Amino acid sequence: MPGAGPHSTFPYPIVETVLDNGLPVVAVPLDTPGIAAHYVAVRTGSRNETEPGRSGFAHFFEHMMFRGTARMTPERYNDALKRLGADGNAFTTDDWTCYHVVASASALPTVMDLEADRFMNLRYSVEAFQKEAAAVLGEYNKNASIPWNALFEKLHDTAYTTHTYKHTTMGFLNDIEDMPNQYDHSLAFFERWYRADNAVLVVAGDIVPEKVFELARRYYGAWRPGVASLSTPVEPDQTIERTAHIPWAAPTLPLLAMAFHAPAFDPEDREGRALDVLAQAYFAPTSPLHKELVLDRQSVDWLSAGLEDRRDPGFFVVLARVKEAEHLADVRAAIERTLALAGSTPLTAERLAAVTSRVRYGFLSGLLTPDQVAATVCHYAQLTGEISAIDRSYVTLHAITANDVSRAAARVFSPANRTVVTLAPSDALGLA
Amino acid sequence: MKTVLLPSDKTPFVSIRFLFATGSVDDPAGKEGLAALTGALLAEGGTRALTYEQLLDALYPMAAGIGVHVDREVTVVKGTVHRDHLDRYYELIRQVVLEPRFDAKEFERLRDDQRNALVSGLRASDDEGFGIESLASLLYAGHPYGRPVEGTVRGIDALRREDASVFHATRFTRDALTLGLAGKVPDGFVERVTSDLHALPERGASRAAPLAPASTRGFDVLVVTKPARAWAISLGHPLGITRADDDFFPLFLANSYFGEHRTFNGALMTKMRSDRGLNYGNYSYVEHFAQDGASTFTLPNVPRLRQAFTIWIRPVAAEHAHFAIRLAVRELRRLVRDGLTQETFEETRAFLLNYSKLWVQTPARRLGFAMDGAFYGGKNLVDELAERLPRMSVDDVNGAIRRHLLPENLNLAVIADPAEAAAFVDALASNVPSPIVYATTTKPEVLAEDREIAVEMLPVERHRCRIVPAAAMFEG
Repeated sequence: MPGAGPHSTFPYPIVETVLDNGLPVVAVPLDTPGIAAHYVAVRTGSRNETEPGRSGFAHFFEHMMFRGTARMTPERYNDALKRLGADGNAFTTDDWTCYHVVASASALPTVMDLEADRFMNLRYSVEAFQKEAAAVLGEYNKNASIPWNALFEKLHDTAYTTHTYKHTTMGFLNDIEDMPNQYDHSLAFFERWYRADNAVLVVAGDIVPEKVFELARRYYGAWRPGVASLSTPVEPDQTIERTAHIPWAAPTLPLLAMAFHAPAFDPEDREGRALDVLAQAYFAPTSPLHKELVLDRQSVDWLSAGLEDRRDPGFFVVLARVKEAEHLADVRAAIERTLALAGSTPLTAERLAAVTSRVRYGFLSGLLTPDQVAATVCHYAQLTGEISAIDRSYVTLHAITANDVSRAAARVFSPANRTVVTLAPSDALGLA
Repeated sequence: MKTVLLPSDKTPFVSIRFLFATGSVDDPAGKEGLAALTGALLAEGGTRALTYEQLLDALYPMAAGIGVHVDREVTVVKGTVHRDHLDRYYELIRQVVLEPRFDAKEFERLRDDQRNALVSGLRASDDEGFGIESLASLLYAGHPYGRPVEGTVRGIDALRREDASVFHATRFTRDALTLGLAGKVPDGFVERVTSDLHALPERGASRAAPLAPASTRGFDVLVVTKPARAWAISLGHPLGITRADDDFFPLFLANSYFGEHRTFNGALMTKMRSDRGLNYGNYSYVEHFAQDGASTFTLPNVPRLRQAFTIWIRPVAAEHAHFAIRLAVRELRRLVRDGLTQETFEETRAFLLNYSKLWVQTPARRLGFAMDGAFYGGKNLVDELAERLPRMSVDDVNGAIRRHLLPENLNLAVIADPAEAAAFVDALASNVPSPIVYATTTKPEVLAEDREIAVEMLPVERHRCRIVPAAAMFEG
């Protein structure tokens, strides 16, 4: 049983079981009087969208999960949740889809009944399907004025040639516009991925684990296992730097993204955790680069970097919002110098200790509510299928040395592995 | 000075909030944006003893920040820290509140950031926020409530470093302050903080009289133009009440029925998104609403002396904009005409009684809500609802709706593409039918209702419609 042990980072007890149909059920009792969170992670995201013309489907499908079952119309489902005063919604990422409800702890049996019903018995009409497709296009439209979205879309499209991370979770616009015609595919999608052995149920809050397991057996016990097998296309090694530029019609501060292909998440992988440390040490607000670009030269107003936790190799990405297009080249050069320095000069012990403390307290301060706890447990569970991944990854992180950091930097940050995408107003200078 | 204390041994964290009754309403004429810049300089300008860089270094290992949020009426300085670091953290936040540095270099940086937030943020790449602020410019024309907290471009350009230090000295005073502490507060800590706060001046500069409740007649329309793939729409009118009034609470319930933020239950959401797929979401509000991060819950500590009823229609395709506006107004007319039924009233009441409990899950949020209660002279909103809702009747709710919601007197702000703005205004002002054609299958009863919506009359008059380019908004 991980959690709450003497060497554990996760501060609460975790109790786990696996139902006969393969569904892992995780209970995290917390001192949150009267409130509990019910989270279901389906380990399917835009990564699973391997068929041409059907990008964005995992996210679209998330919408359809609110469109009723044989027993409950969407109106009845919404009314039932409404009576409970529950806060329920869902989100989709590259790797997984999360269905979350926070409600009073006494409502848990009803919540579980409603949620299990739609995972097992989803049913909707063509008409409902098509209206929801229109709402998804509305979601794309509401994001369209945000330059960051365009930047990420282009970054994924440029850096990947083969793997499904080439498209964002929203999907390619052409595919979104074609969604109303994909009703049959939606039924197949549900059959393939919405299976007990492709999901994780996490309940956190004012709960008793044994009672949670009993409810889970009652309501989720009949959920069919048998997830389809998936082979995502393997992205070949990048052998030459790639760049792209987006001219933007409206006034905007220029944006720069520099991404490197980096290892998939593995709690034991020292390189991955070393890159977590590196992102903090070299790009956090206390880093020399932040001081140089944001505070002293004031050519950048926002700087950030990080390794994405992904099931397949994702990005280590550096992002900067630059104040003038003419500074894009300088900013890019400064980031490259920093990454080269990270590969050649080990961190001081003092800096490493500050980063480790920061990461530890940052993790704890993000675990205050049933919602936050359940979301964190789901994040690690969907990545690896194992709850112990939380503590194991922190054990690895705390053991990272300055040499691990410089070794990771030297391997990952090669020019051939680099993709740079910039965005600037159409009337500005353009490429960095 | 008021004090709000919520000690608890159940958390290892301590939350501290200093809420000052000063905000963008106190911006001097010609210096629009001063309150916001003063707040930014507290957060990121360093202290007398520490440069901002040193402050960041000191905070970094604690994974704690010092946040400053400036709104129209108030400024809050806030933070949450693990008890392991409380002493060191408190010393930093004490310096930030009492001994800000107003560093010249940070001033330049933060003024630049504020200008950019307006010019290349709000006006250029945040159509929905821009629509909401454009509506505010109609609701509160000529008043500080009618512009973003960031101010105006000209106001920001006129700001000098000394303005911020004078603003701090005259507005961050003990008579304007509510101190809030929650969580694992050690013995003697409250006394220590209270004693330190005596370093603030006792009294501040006098404030302008609060905005008089405005009345609207008919429709005022503002179409703001910029390249837009889809159009953001906001509607609303000023309200005469706030949380300080008894009528606020039945109206709050009515609003939850009509358009509870980011839920799928609201009448507007059902008609516009679920039945028709017009857009991503549609919500309504009876007070200023800021979403707390990625949650769906309201951010505490943005209380206002004047509030408005507003409808937020998330971007719709240009060809559906007129139809969407007609549908929203039609639903509001229906709400005022028919009210809630006993059944919808009871459902909504049951929802709110449970849902509101979710708003105060952390000590920091409980503290924020309690401090807002103190601002309005009552209890925190969640406790007010717990007390009032069980005693409320459907007649109370429908009475409040009829007294306060005005579907014939709305302001309308639309972020629209320049190529289509003029034709849109012409169509709006002449009530040209706006039939909708779907690319998708639609229920017959929805299509039947659409035929009525397409000719729903709006009291729009051509001379009360303005088309303004985005770059001219909030210039000053």
